[in-house]
Amino acid sequence: MISALNTIIIDGMSFALPLFIMAIGGIYSERSGITNLALEGLQGMGAFVGALTAYLLTLRLGANSQVPYYMAMLFAMIGGCVYAMLHAVLCIRFKANQVISGVVINILGMALTSFLTKTINKQAFGAPSDKFDLGVSARFTVPGISKIPVLGAFFTRIYPFEILIVIAAVIAWYFLYRTRFGLHLRACGDNPAAVDAAGGNVAKTRLVAVMVSGALSGLAGMCFAYSISAKFSNDIYMGYGYLAIAGYIFGNWELLPSLAACLIFGFARSAGSEIVLALGMPSAYGDLVMILPYVVTLLLLVFLSKKNQAPHALGEIYDKAKR
Amino acid sequence: MISSRKRFLRVAVGSVLISLLIGAIVILILGKNPFSAYYNLLQGCGLAPKAKYGGGRSMFTDLSSYIDFWTPMIFAALSCAVAMKAGLFNIGISGQMLTAGFIATVTIGYSSLPGVIAKPLVILIGCAAGMAVGALIGFLKYRFNINEVVSSIMINYIAEYIISFFIQTNFIDPVSRQSVNIHDSARLTFHQIVLGGYKYDLPIGFLLAIIATIVVKFIFDKTVLGYELKAVGANRTAAKYAGIRVGRSIVLSMAISGALAGIAGVTYYLGYFASIQPKVLISTGYDAIAVCLLGNSEPVGIFIASFLIEIIAKGATYMSSQAGLESEIASVITGLILLASACNVFFMGILEKREQERAEKAKGINGPGSGGANAPDTEGSPDTEDRRGGAKA
Repeated sequence: MISALNTIIIDGMSFALPLFIMAIGGIYSERSGITNLALEGLQGMGAFVGALTAYLLTLRLGANSQVPYYMAMLFAMIGGCVYAMLHAVLCIRFKANQVISGVVINILGMALTSFLTKTINKQAFGAPSDKFDLGVSARFTVPGISKIPVLGAFFTRIYPFEILIVIAAVIAWYFLYRTRFGLHLRACGDNPAAVDAAGGNVAKTRLVAVMVSGALSGLAGMCFAYSISAKFSNDIYMGYGYLAIAGYIFGNWELLPSLAACLIFGFARSAGSEIVLALGMPSAYGDLVMILPYVVTLLLLVFLSKKNQAPHALGEIYDKAKR
Repeated sequence: MISSRKRFLRVAVGSVLISLLIGAIVILILGKNPFSAYYNLLQGCGLAPKAKYGGGRSMFTDLSSYIDFWTPMIFAALSCAVAMKAGLFNIGISGQMLTAGFIATVTIGYSSLPGVIAKPLVILIGCAAGMAVGALIGFLKYRFNINEVVSSIMINYIAEYIISFFIQTNFIDPVSRQSVNIHDSARLTFHQIVLGGYKYDLPIGFLLAIIATIVVKFIFDKTVLGYELKAVGANRTAAKYAGIRVGRSIVLSMAISGALAGIAGVTYYLGYFASIQPKVLISTGYDAIAVCLLGNSEPVGIFIASFLIEIIAKGATYMSSQAGLESEIASVITGLILLASACNVFFMGILEKREQERAEKAKGINGPGSGGANAPDTEGSPDTEDRRGGAKA
């Protein structure tokens, strides 16, 4: 019983944290006033760039080196960041409908990464394949604390990226709530005209916010690639980006409540698969368990959406001339 | 009005050409001939003759198979357009198609009803199932203020996994790893019909698709319902003050959208195919968005745009086998078209500005001798004209 509970916590955390960092990215973008449905595509593109980096470095440095792992994380962030600029340019410069732009980014991202993965595998490595194998990341256990019953599970068999995510989340929290930049960013989402009048640059702030969301999503995508899928392939597009969106909507566009939402998704998922395992049900029942996070999301939204208040200027194109 | 439509046409043709050009450059970089690759696309759809054909095959059988493939897309894109006109974004078309296809398959597809009864029933059930899912999404939006994009994607995944569960536990064909094929009597395509020695695929759905295109056009252009939906899409608050019941319009447009997606589903799963692959959500629902944007959400525009996009999608398999390119290049090109279409408002603005400047310049050349006093008059009239045209569009 205890071991089942431990597994639920360990697996739940390793799923919830990447989801949370992606949700933070979404919060940055949406608090600045840019609707971001592109998280799914951004995490996929990030994971693609990161996985390619890791694959190339592993060929050069050998399988035992730790360098590819961390470089993959870095390049995933860069990849997601650069790809997010496309969303920013469409929304800010080309004044495209932000919902449509987000969906376009997702569709194009999926098409591009699967085309490039196949083409690169065939042309550069001479082996037709639709994936980059990465293997599952190594884990570690904090000695001492992990012996505490139940709570210790939070320090048992941790992926190194979970630490990275916690650090990134703290920095993101600090910037959003404790700096001038964060204040400007939040103001851009509620009253861009006021920011403009105060001498701020709305377009630039929004561009930075969307790029941050790309970088954080890219990191999340890479984490999924190193944990759940153990490879980069089209499997990366499992709708986790949309789960993250549901997470921050549920969290009312604030960081800490969003963390709670992501934890609920994570534990719902790991508890479900643990139940299937414990009851010895055939594998087809695993499919039924997979719907748990989605059902939980829908139900939570049903109960909470009415109260929630999105940023006032969310999704509106800011046009200086129309002030 | 007319000039704005013309402007849109120019932007749409431009975005397709630019996307094809970028695709051609990519093909060139990979060391293949883009012209022959694009010609392969046409050959794969029976729009150009292939070098040789297998037994019972010809250019026209390829064409019939292409039309069979094209049919679901027309419904799917119309479905997207109905929601888009009302200011909603139905990204759950794939899920609605799957739900409708699955329910029709298990209720009618495996029954032994004669074709005359089974085929209309399949369409009705598909329509009803899609409508139910669409209406649910609309209801969640209206009653609980849930963003329709998020809820429809959640429903997509739920439908995918639940249906995959039922197929794998009850209806799996152990050889093909898909659901057991439905009876021919329930299938909406007359599959491999032999006429004069050639085997054709004749879709009933295509006739329905033409009718649906006309009906949707009629609803939007001539009925109160269509007018109300458009008003809600243009400005929800203004529509509310004009006495339109916005909530009802939202649910209704999603229901119609879902119904069209449901028919798309049955023409796909019980027409072009006769079985359902578990754990796969087809990309038709997403491509439909590209088609809809490219066609400016106008039924006739969609009919033409879907023809084009589906050539790229269907021809990709043949192109991949002939030119040695990955068939995913097709979805990349579709994605690029989508990207360019997303900016169409911006490009149309540029065209409009340029036209205005040209008109002003023409005025300046025509009347160089005229005095300064009456100049504002002559300049003023085309300007207001244009603005009125813009507001109407």
